[in-house]
Amino acid sequence: MHSSISSSERPTASDRPGVAQPVPLRPVPVLPWSRVVIVAVTLFAVLVGAWEWTWRAYGVQPSTRNTDALWAIQRRRIDNGEGNATVIAGSSREYFGLQLDVWEKLDGKRPIQLAFEGTSPMEIVEDLADDPTFTGNLIVGITPGVFFSGFALHHDAVRYARRESPSQRIGQWLSMHTIEPMFAFYDPDFALATVLKRQPWPQRPGRHWGMSVRKLSVTQPDRNTRLWEKLEDDEDYAALARRIWADEWIPSDDDPTPAEIAKTADEQIDRMVKAVAKLQARHVRVVFLRSPSDGEYLAEENRTYPRKDTWEKLLAATGAPGIHFEDYPQLQGLRLPEWSHLAYADARRYTSSVVDLVKPRFSGEAVSAVDPY
Amino acid sequence: MVFNSLTFVAFFALVLGMHALPLPWRTKKINLLIASYLFYAAWNPPFILLLWISTVVDWYAAQGLVKARREASRHAWMVISVVANLGMLVYFKYGQFFLDNFVAILGAAGIHWQPAHQDIVLPVGISFYTFATMSYTLDVYLRRAQPASNLLDYALFVTFFPHLVAGPIMRPTELVPQFAEPRKASADQLKFGLALMTLGLFNKVVLADTFLADAAERVFDSDKAPGLLDAWLGTLAFSGQIFCDFAGYSTTAIGAALCLGFAMPDNFRFPYAAVGFSDFWRRWHITLSSWLRDYLYIPLGGNRHGDARTYAALMTTMLLGGLWHGANWTFVAWGGLHGLYLSIERVARKRFASYRPGPVLFVALGLLTYTLINITWVFFRAKTFGKAWDVLRGMSGFNADAKPILATYYIVSVSLIVAAIVFAHWLMRNRTLESVVARVRPAALGAIWAVMVFAIVISQGSGNAFIYFQF
Repeated sequence: MHSSISSSERPTASDRPGVAQPVPLRPVPVLPWSRVVIVAVTLFAVLVGAWEWTWRAYGVQPSTRNTDALWAIQRRRIDNGEGNATVIAGSSREYFGLQLDVWEKLDGKRPIQLAFEGTSPMEIVEDLADDPTFTGNLIVGITPGVFFSGFALHHDAVRYARRESPSQRIGQWLSMHTIEPMFAFYDPDFALATVLKRQPWPQRPGRHWGMSVRKLSVTQPDRNTRLWEKLEDDEDYAALARRIWADEWIPSDDDPTPAEIAKTADEQIDRMVKAVAKLQARHVRVVFLRSPSDGEYLAEENRTYPRKDTWEKLLAATGAPGIHFEDYPQLQGLRLPEWSHLAYADARRYTSSVVDLVKPRFSGEAVSAVDPY
Repeated sequence: MVFNSLTFVAFFALVLGMHALPLPWRTKKINLLIASYLFYAAWNPPFILLLWISTVVDWYAAQGLVKARREASRHAWMVISVVANLGMLVYFKYGQFFLDNFVAILGAAGIHWQPAHQDIVLPVGISFYTFATMSYTLDVYLRRAQPASNLLDYALFVTFFPHLVAGPIMRPTELVPQFAEPRKASADQLKFGLALMTLGLFNKVVLADTFLADAAERVFDSDKAPGLLDAWLGTLAFSGQIFCDFAGYSTTAIGAALCLGFAMPDNFRFPYAAVGFSDFWRRWHITLSSWLRDYLYIPLGGNRHGDARTYAALMTTMLLGGLWHGANWTFVAWGGLHGLYLSIERVARKRFASYRPGPVLFVALGLLTYTLINITWVFFRAKTFGKAWDVLRGMSGFNADAKPILATYYIVSVSLIVAAIVFAHWLMRNRTLESVVARVRPAALGAIWAVMVFAIVISQGSGNAFIYFQF
C-alpha cells in the first residue's frame, strides 16, 4: 500500500503508516474573508431574487410542495383519531378534481386526501385494508391507464410514511412553515434538473424520448389541490400539456402487448378484490370512482382499457359500487383543459355531484347501478 | 439527519449559537455531546443504544488495557473490544448476508431450509463509528496512544456529529486532544468553514444528485443491457457521483467541525488524478485506507515477511475492505479487483524500480488508472453480478444491438461534468484546496461561493441520503 508518488502540500494519514495520527492541520487561507462574504451574500440575493421573479412572471405563486412527507401527514390522521373519516384514494383526477372544502360543506366532514398523481391507489388501498384503525368510507379513483397498469410514480409513499424519521418530519414542518409560503420557485417542477431536461435537446437517434409532464396543480397544506390556473388561462400551456399526453401514446418497442396489458389489469383487479374484502369485513364502505377524461385522452383510454374488460370487471369482481362519469348526466359537460383534469370551477361542481352520488352508497341505501337521471 | 436537509440547517444554527455562548468549556462539550446524540437520534432514536454500547465497551476496554499487568490480560481486553464492535457490525450489517449464503450453501448440498426472514434495519453509520471506536482500543493496545483522560471527551470523540455517520474516520489521537482546551472558531475559520460546507453540499446536491445520479441509475437499474456509449456514460456518471457524494460529505463535515473550531483530516485528495492504484488509495477515502493499513494490513504482516505473505495480506485487506462497503459479493469483487490491481502494480514497480515515466506517459498512466478504476465501479454500483456483466459487456462493445438508454441531455451533462472533475483533479493533484483558494481574488471567490449556494437552492434537493450512509 505504498506509493512512489510524492506527498502533496499537506501530509495525511496515508503518509504516516503504523503510528498514532496527530491532530490534523486545517489552515484558513489568508484572504479578506469579510469582503468575500459580502460579495457572496449580495450576489446570492440578486440571483435568488431574479430566479423568483422569473417564475412569478411565468404565473407561479408560492404553494405547498406535493411530497411523500406531505402525504404522510394526512395518512397519520387515520392513526391519530380520524379512523372513521372518508378517505380519497386514487390518482391525479381525484387529487385535483375532488375539492375538500366543497365536500366538507355538503357532508359536514372534510375527507382525507390520499390520492397521488400518476400513482395507482392499489398500494394505498392495501395499506388501509391492513390497518384496523381505518373504519371509515373509501373512495377509490380509477384512472384506467394508471390503475390497470399498476403504474406508481409515488411508489414509496406508504413505506415513507411508515419509516419517516424524526429528522424528515421536522424538515417537512420547516419547509411548510418557512420556505414554501415564501418562494414560488420552490416547486419540483422548477428545480434545476427539471428545467434543464425540458430544454429542446436534439433527439438521440434510435429512440423517442417523450416530454415529461409539466406542472398541473396547486396544492394546499392539507393536500386540497386544484388545477393550476395557467392551464385554464393560457391556451398555449394547455396545448403543451395535451401534446405531452399525446407524446406518451406514440408507439414504441417497449410497449406491452395487448395480452400483457390484460394480464397486468387482471392482476390489479385480483389485488383489489383481496383488499376490498378485508375492508368490507371491517364494514368499510368502498366506492369506485371513474372521473372524467376527454378528447384524445378518453379515446386512448377506451382503446387500451375498454370499459367492459376493466371497469366492469373490477366492479363485478369486488362487488363494490362504482360511479362512472359516463353514466350520470350531472357529470357531463365538464371542462378539462388538457383532456385529463377538471378546471377549478368544474371540479367544484363535480365534487358536489360526487358527494350527492356517494352519500347513499356510503350510508348503505340501495341504489341502482345507474341512477335514473 | 443528513447535512443536505432543512433540519440540519436549523440544527447547525442552534449548535453554533450554543457553542458561541459564554459557558464553561465542560458545559459546551456536554452541549456538543447532546447535540450529537440528537443528530443521530433524528434517524432512529433506539439506535443510540448501539452508540452507547460501543462507547462504554471501548472506554472500559481501554481502561482495562492500561491497568492490565499481564500481556494475556491486555490481549483479552483488546479481544473483548474487537468482538463487541465487530459483533454488532456483523449482526446488523452482515447477519442477513451470512444467513442467505448459508442457506445457499445448504441448498447446493441438497438441503432445503428456509429460515424466517430477518427484517434487520442497518443502523446508519455503524461501519464508521465502529471503526472509530475500535481504533481507540487498538491504539491503546498497540501502545500508540494513551486512553482519554475522561469519559466525556471520549464519548464526544465517538459521537461528534460532523464525523459520526460517514467519516472521515477519526482516530482518537486526532480528536480527543482537541477537547482538552476550549475551542472556538475565529471569524475567518467560521467563514472558511461555511465555504467548505457550501462546497461539500454543492458536490452532493448539485453535481451528484442533480446531474449524475439519474444517468447512473438509468443505466445500472435498467432491465436493458446498455450499448457502448450508455455503459461508459453510466459508469462515468457513477464515478463522478460517488466522488461528489462522498467527498462532498467529507468536505461538509470538515467545514462543520471548523465552524466549531475543530480540525478534521482530509479524506480525499483529488483521487481521479491518481497514477497507479497505491496512489489512488492515498487519495481516496484516506481515513479508511489508512485505517485498514494500520489495523489490518500491517498486523497481517504487511510487507515484512516476504512476497507471498505481502500479497496475501494485500488481498485480504482489500477483500475485507470491499466487504466493509456492503453485504454483497459485488463489493467483495470490487475490493478483490483493487487488490489485484495493487498486486500487479507492486510487481511492476519492483521490476521497473528505476523507471520514471515522462510527462506524456505519466498522464497516460493516470488515464489508464482512471479507466481501470471505472471498471471497478461497475461492481460497486451494480446490484448483481448479472448486471455488472451486462454493463461490462456494453463497455467492451459487445452489446451492439442495445437500444439507446440515455437521452442527449444526459450525454452532454455527464460528459461535461465528469471531464471537469477529472481535469480539476489533475490541476490540483499536488495542491491543497486551501492553497488554491488563497490565490483566488476575493471578489471572484465571493462570486463562486454565491453561484454554488444559488445552485444548491435551485436544485431543490430532496434530502437524498449520502451513498456511504448505507455502508
